[in-house]
Amino acid sequence: MKSSLSTTLSVLTLSAVLAGAAVDPEMEGMEAVNRDDGTFLVGGPTYFFDRILGAGGIHSETELWTPQKLRNRLLFNRMSLLPSWNPMEPSVWVKTGNELGDMIYQDVITETDRPTNRTPILEGGFRSPSFKGFWAMARGFQDDHYSARTYSYRKKMVSDEFAIFGENYPMFSSIYGGVGFTNDFVNASVLAGEEYLWEYMESSRWIPVHMAPRVEGRVDFWNFELTAAYEHAEYQDARVDESGERNEVNGSVLYKCGNACQKGMFQLSAGIAFRFVSDDGDVYTGLDNDRVLWPFMQLRVQPFRWLRADAMFGMNDSDWLVQDSVEMGMPVPVKGLGVTIGVKNISGTRLNPLADDKEYFNVKSVSDTMDLSPSGQMNLVQGYVAFADTIASVSLGGRATFWTEHGAETFDVEDFVKDGILEFRYGDVSRIDSWIKGVTGELWLDTWYEDWFKFRALAGFERIDGPSERFEVTPAEYFVAFTGDWLIRKSFRVSHSLRYRSDAQWNLRSPDPLVVKGDWYWDATFEQQFPRHGLYLTGTLIHVLADEVIQVPNGDYDRLRFVCTVRKTF
Amino acid sequence: MRLKFILSAIVLCCASTLFAQNPADSAFSKIYVSIEGGEMYPFGDLIDAVENSFYGGVGFRYSYWDDFDGFVNFNYAYVKVRPEGIPYPGVHQFVGRLGLDWHWKYVKPLAIGAGFTCNWARADYDGEDDYLKGRGGMLLDNETEFGWFARINMPFLYYRSFTIGFNALWEQIWTLPERSNTLTIGVYVERRVW
Repeated sequence: MKSSLSTTLSVLTLSAVLAGAAVDPEMEGMEAVNRDDGTFLVGGPTYFFDRILGAGGIHSETELWTPQKLRNRLLFNRMSLLPSWNPMEPSVWVKTGNELGDMIYQDVITETDRPTNRTPILEGGFRSPSFKGFWAMARGFQDDHYSARTYSYRKKMVSDEFAIFGENYPMFSSIYGGVGFTNDFVNASVLAGEEYLWEYMESSRWIPVHMAPRVEGRVDFWNFELTAAYEHAEYQDARVDESGERNEVNGSVLYKCGNACQKGMFQLSAGIAFRFVSDDGDVYTGLDNDRVLWPFMQLRVQPFRWLRADAMFGMNDSDWLVQDSVEMGMPVPVKGLGVTIGVKNISGTRLNPLADDKEYFNVKSVSDTMDLSPSGQMNLVQGYVAFADTIASVSLGGRATFWTEHGAETFDVEDFVKDGILEFRYGDVSRIDSWIKGVTGELWLDTWYEDWFKFRALAGFERIDGPSERFEVTPAEYFVAFTGDWLIRKSFRVSHSLRYRSDAQWNLRSPDPLVVKGDWYWDATFEQQFPRHGLYLTGTLIHVLADEVIQVPNGDYDRLRFVCTVRKTF
Repeated sequence: MRLKFILSAIVLCCASTLFAQNPADSAFSKIYVSIEGGEMYPFGDLIDAVENSFYGGVGFRYSYWDDFDGFVNFNYAYVKVRPEGIPYPGVHQFVGRLGLDWHWKYVKPLAIGAGFTCNWARADYDGEDDYLKGRGGMLLDNETEFGWFARINMPFLYYRSFTIGFNALWEQIWTLPERSNTLTIGVYVERRVW
């Protein structure tokens, strides 16, 4: 029973692991670039639409608040891993890369149709080995990709170069450092730094936010995890001499089910997430009452090894959110075969109850206060059945789901405003008060040879029935993906991933929908490893085959790029 | 001995790597440093853009597996531009390469190698205009581009711990609107550190 349960559980985690596992992302938090097992549309490092096929509902993953994202960054209304303030393992590392297509000497012979500037990615950092439990770390990183197209527009909005380094007006640029203490009982750190960010708004505007300073402290002890951050955020629009600032304190307290608790039938965790803000001058979003307190609890009930129920419930004076699931491993008398059935549900008044409630839109004499927290509630119910069958070094698996959603969040557009090359919308977030229904199917094949070769082929389709013209994004209908990993002589890694995703479409951010055409993508990572020395030399090619297209309205071209990293672990 | 100490401190951060029991363990069991000089020849479209250029640089080679070496090279070249109307005479070019050499037993002592290259260029210009839209303008700022190369490494003279040899390297940089191809021929003097 145990083996079939673990097989079936691995079935369920497979989709989540699939695409990010092999090829290295160009930066921590940009895994969406290398995934196509669903709809992953990247507008820049600080904004993407990420929806795994089979996730259910029409929202993207980062729009949904979950307790697992407590230490992610809230970028406007999304829980983003980037720019990550998670301390790395003890090591020193350097990363650099560039979108391919700078001219170098072609520059002096290219008179017409000169390509625009290609922009780099940069990172350097270290975390020292522990000295009597104490360690120090520092990290500077920025991603200048996806910045050239909107560069000249955004440049006028800010009074300086708006980056730690260079003149490309990158979508984010971050530097921080600090100290920590780690032993068997406590893991604590305090980091301080400065950050430049361009946040993508509900109106499709890019808003510059300069955080100076940003300070974050974390303490993990016993079964508690505490996080607190102070952010002094400066806002500006230099074109119209607007400026404002926001002082914010945010964080969380989490009591986790400990080791003893995890052996019991009832496993309870609880916590509270909070934000307190104080705005002054022109700040382009607003939080009701200038504060949000979000208490939540998680409960897992596992009466048998093959039956598990999870529930997350959070509530405060204006919102509530429930996420729950029941999963059962079916008894199957065939060796190597596992079958799981399950049902999950998400209900609530907001996908992200910590996000701001208003956006203040003021462009070209149009003025509007956009309501971001619609009345009513959404309900999503999803049922699934999954199987995996393993014979020798081959495993075949599949999953079928049915989902239906009522009250899905959408946007009621009042009108559009064109400003230079960019186009904005205003109106209010609202709901689709009818049932949307979807069916999905996925099938995958794994094969491997000892520890040096792994191959996976995976395909999925989804059919959605509902008023798609009111979906923010009509998701891709199908994908296929092939990934292969080699570890040659235990020290040379080649990972690659070849994928096709069908068309996806933005419906509500421009008068005519923006279709992101289906395309093939090929990514590859080559890594020379010196495990005895803890030295890793890595080069990654990203989006080799794909056409260079804009995947998000007002975003930038997704370009072929090469990133290399040197890391020495301690 | 001192050189050995410094190198092991900088590059490896430890120096306990002398026994090759499994394939991964032969890494860094031999280490070489080198200096190199030679000439770079543009190919195709690039012939109209720049002149042949002398370069100089340093290299580092290490055993990776028994029949493969890894290497890292850094070169500098001053590359003169050909077309009229460019407001500077040349470009400072720094190149970094990371690759693997294969010592195929049938062609020894020749080694066949390939790897990735990174090219960083900046125009030799100190005029007032900080951004020029026309030809050559992009090079006023830093330009970086990656590419790949294949090479032949042919040692021909051995003396104690020194080796002298030729490097012939064909390289393609992933530039736009066309890819840029060059051939680089050089002579190196290499010293085995351990």
